[in-house]
Amino acid sequence: MDAVVLTSFLRALIEREFMQFALITGILVGLLAPIIGSFVVIKRLSLIADTLSHFSLAGLSIGLFLLNILRLPIGDPLYIGMVFAVIGALLIEVLRSYYKNYKEISMPIVISLGTALSALFISLSGGFNTEIYNYLFGSILTVGRNFVYIIAITTFVILTLITIFYKQIVIISFDETYARLLGIRVNLFQFFTTIFLGIVVSLSIETVGVLLVSSLMIIPVAAAMKIGRSFKTTLMIAILFSEVSVILGLWLSFRLGFPSGATIVLFNITILVAVVVLRKLFTRRNLEEKQEEPVTVK
Amino acid sequence: MHIQVSNLSFGYDYRTVLKNITFSLESGDFLVVVGNNGSGKSTLVKCILGINPVPDKKIFLDNTDINDFKKWIKIGYVPQKMDDFNYEFPISVNEIMHVSKHSKVSEKEKLELFDRMGILELQNENINSLSGGQLQRVFIARAMINKPEVLILDEPTIGVDTDNVNRFYRIINELNSEGVTIVLITHSLQPGKANFNHVMHLHEGKAEFTSVSDMPDGGDV
Repeated sequence: MDAVVLTSFLRALIEREFMQFALITGILVGLLAPIIGSFVVIKRLSLIADTLSHFSLAGLSIGLFLLNILRLPIGDPLYIGMVFAVIGALLIEVLRSYYKNYKEISMPIVISLGTALSALFISLSGGFNTEIYNYLFGSILTVGRNFVYIIAITTFVILTLITIFYKQIVIISFDETYARLLGIRVNLFQFFTTIFLGIVVSLSIETVGVLLVSSLMIIPVAAAMKIGRSFKTTLMIAILFSEVSVILGLWLSFRLGFPSGATIVLFNITILVAVVVLRKLFTRRNLEEKQEEPVTVK
Repeated sequence: MHIQVSNLSFGYDYRTVLKNITFSLESGDFLVVVGNNGSGKSTLVKCILGINPVPDKKIFLDNTDINDFKKWIKIGYVPQKMDDFNYEFPISVNEIMHVSKHSKVSEKEKLELFDRMGILELQNENINSLSGGQLQRVFIARAMINKPEVLILDEPTIGVDTDNVNRFYRIINELNSEGVTIVLITHSLQPGKANFNHVMHLHEGKAEFTSVSDMPDGGDV
């Protein structure tokens, strides 16, 4: 039975273009999300992805309103969503520098504005419909060729920049003060990191939707940081967990007809739980073995 | 490196933390800055490091105004243990050095520094598995990796056991004897451990200086 389903999944991948687009998109988002997510987690900004996805939804809702109600030829609302994600990211930076001692205040302010604008424009666009549902929960099986090109170019640009500026990005993430002392232009790096974060968040919405974007960025990293002994191994493990979740999620959603975004995220959560449980068992066994060793007095 | 601070006052919002601080240090000097919590010690360090913005003509590093100074690599800095560094996310000792070091520093020089600091065997360890003393030596090594002319240490012995405190003072005394200028911030002087030649007492933002030659016991405070 499983072999039959697996074969039909592989046949669908070979024969159907939309499955190929879904898989390529999933693999690229599965690569980008934990990379950006790891820098977000280090800086204790895990809620930023959630905030930006909600702000991006405001852009998507305004895009739908302009497209469907005002009949303006704006193209894909995704582009307005991307612009809003970047604006939201910059707004967070401005608020974080304004409330220096209460930096976390920036998130609820931006998330509230994004949600309020979304509710307003969804209502003006005629209320809840399939497009809004897809934005909320993802629609990886409906991505087109253009989207695949956009995400491929974004992946290439971000990976190239991270490779070139790896040292600077890591030192800024771990120790901003020391980065300044080394003469690194911290504000400039933060500005571009924030913009790329906004872009990746808005592109990830197509995969798992507004409500689940942050999980794609944060959960693989949360699991990997419990195992990794160095930053590089943690990053590699996070990417591995993320890609396994994307591929298994796509396969299971194909087999059972589940929503793909939710299935991918549930695989991510399953891996996290498995890592936490196995690590606890491993630590306990190690402690027990150590206690059993006889104490020798010299 | 020559450090010149002239009539420096600094404050946050409406609170003045430093009041008319003036001093100068020559290459190879060893200054200890002593004061209670809130006396302005860390604020002074952040001014010298260019982290706190100061007006022109207040601080000169190598005769260059701090606002025009570019050669920050000449200054090594060891922060307070829990200051800004994110200790909980995994990163190995080797990775910290890799991202901190200038490309001109060879692998051999890096390993020699590790050996000197007693962290050679820790190079592949995750920093959150290190003890307080080990972590402190890692941060001194990080500050020394680019061969700075000045080493600034902000409360480096807090939470470190006696053996590691002794080891720490042995290392910085050695570095100072090799010509590295040391600025050590502490809330209490360690009797006879540091070979300092100047002491700055900070009290409510005002500085009083003692030169070791003026001390009856030659600095063994």
